[in-house]
Amino acid sequence: MRTLEHTMNLLMAIASAVALVAVTTVLGLVVRARTGRLRRVRADTVVAHELSGAAVLGSRATLLQFSTEFCAPCRTTHGLLQRQASARDGVVHLDVDLTHRPELARRFNILQTPTTFVLDGAGMIRARIGGAPRPTELASALDELIGESRVDTIAR
Amino acid sequence: MSIPSPDSQNRSPSRGIDPRGPRFGAGITAVLLLIALVLSLSGGTVAAFILLAVIAALFAWGAFAGVQRHPYGLLFKVLLRQRLAPPTELEDPAPPTFAQGVGFVVVVLGLVLHLLGVPYALGVAAALAFVAAFLNAVFGYCIGCQLYLLVARVGWTRRGARV
Repeated sequence: MRTLEHTMNLLMAIASAVALVAVTTVLGLVVRARTGRLRRVRADTVVAHELSGAAVLGSRATLLQFSTEFCAPCRTTHGLLQRQASARDGVVHLDVDLTHRPELARRFNILQTPTTFVLDGAGMIRARIGGAPRPTELASALDELIGESRVDTIAR
Repeated sequence: MSIPSPDSQNRSPSRGIDPRGPRFGAGITAVLLLIALVLSLSGGTVAAFILLAVIAALFAWGAFAGVQRHPYGLLFKVLLRQRLAPPTELEDPAPPTFAQGVGFVVVVLGLVLHLLGVPYALGVAAALAFVAAFLNAVFGYCIGCQLYLLVARVGWTRRGARV
């Protein structure tokens, strides 16, 4: 009887472990499906000097990245955004370390790094990306935004 | 200080580690944590306690000596690195080192609460640490690293408010 009870306990414990692996796998798949997705918003306007005295926003668009020191994907994101910005006129990439600026994390409700905002020429937040951005999705959103500002300029 | 780095400024790319190293280590840790969970749930409380103490010591090794000096890192170098293609990108060792510290705190809390008589403390600590280690190993997602931002938001906000 005792051995039977012991075996039952062990089986229950193994079943719990298998269930935990399954739940964690689902969690991982959800995170992977959601991370880096671009969300279109029309939110707040960012003013350059609230980021730093030296920051200047792009005339047509700005890729505003928020990072921390302990963030592995921030580094690759930094490179990606830098390439995307330098390939286009009037687009600037800014990278703010939230370690020293927690008030910005609260102001923009940032819960993960990297978080990237796509700002238009007026500094309005037009899109928001949590996690490492997906290059093609970002590029097309950026081109769309720049195209918009070009039409504006021609209309004027 | 708080100046956003302009386009030209690079993040220190020189002293990087192979990002697959920490993920390999997280895989071993995940397996050990799962064994600890099974032990704690099947009546092997003493064995679970000892195993979690060993895991805590390994976390401490990574957190205080740095992931580059961790035994799993050496194991990765000896067993796997030569057989794999060279890494496409190198990673800063600071984030995984911080995450090791988070793992250490979680497991030590479980051990202490167990000694204080809190039921299921070992199992809960093992399960929480397992979720983090598994997501890191399988999906490359570092929960421990994300916690840093939340800590910064809470901890430094108070300090910032005083200034």
